[in-house]
Amino acid sequence: MSFQQKNITVSLVNFVLILGFYLIRVIQMIQNENFTATNVFRLWGIVIGLAIIVTIIGTILTHIVSAIIQAIKTGEEDPKIEDFEDERDQLIDLRGTKVTYFVSSVGVFLSMLTFALGQPPLVMFTLLIFFGVLAQIVGDISRLYLYRRGF
Amino acid sequence: MGKSRISNNIRKLRFFHDEMTQQQLAEKVGVTRQTIIAMEQEKYSPSLELAFRIALVFGVPLDEVFSYDSGNESN
Repeated sequence: MSFQQKNITVSLVNFVLILGFYLIRVIQMIQNENFTATNVFRLWGIVIGLAIIVTIIGTILTHIVSAIIQAIKTGEEDPKIEDFEDERDQLIDLRGTKVTYFVSSVGVFLSMLTFALGQPPLVMFTLLIFFGVLAQIVGDISRLYLYRRGF
Repeated sequence: MGKSRISNNIRKLRFFHDEMTQQQLAEKVGVTRQTIIAMEQEKYSPSLELAFRIALVFGVPLDEVFSYDSGNESN
């Protein structure tokens, strides 16, 4: 597994955990009957902040763990990690981004549709962040798929 | 998805060039070893620029490295 694949796998795990956390919090809010604008927007802030922090920490940790694994494998003191992106990595990243944008666009449309069909605006905002995180997950899965199957 | 219609002799050419490793070829043409592996397994068709760089490393014309299977295509 290349460095890029490891990085995508870490990102995928992180976003699945974030989505899980988000869904649990939303369900808790609905059950406790405190599904209010303040709570929903606070959760938005937490999820966006968490996504940024976890992505940065995930990338740093992937670098460190890759270097340790490489050092154990080769016995070098200063192991070289192939962390640069070549044309294949860039192409896979572009295709993954395309999938992310597609899922994101469908998500925005469906979220707005709920509002148009008479649901409260909070439902739309809750769905917007749900589809945002989901789009990232689907994009990461498509990237891993392209690495495995080729194109 | 899967195998492309462009096949190549990279593995054979590496063997006849002092058993050059995938890593050595990757460093010479400026890609990762994973990309060389993907090309040898015919899971990735390189850009024209990369194809020329590979041919240059082996010192052979492009069509000795890569070939295109036109299948049932008509002109």
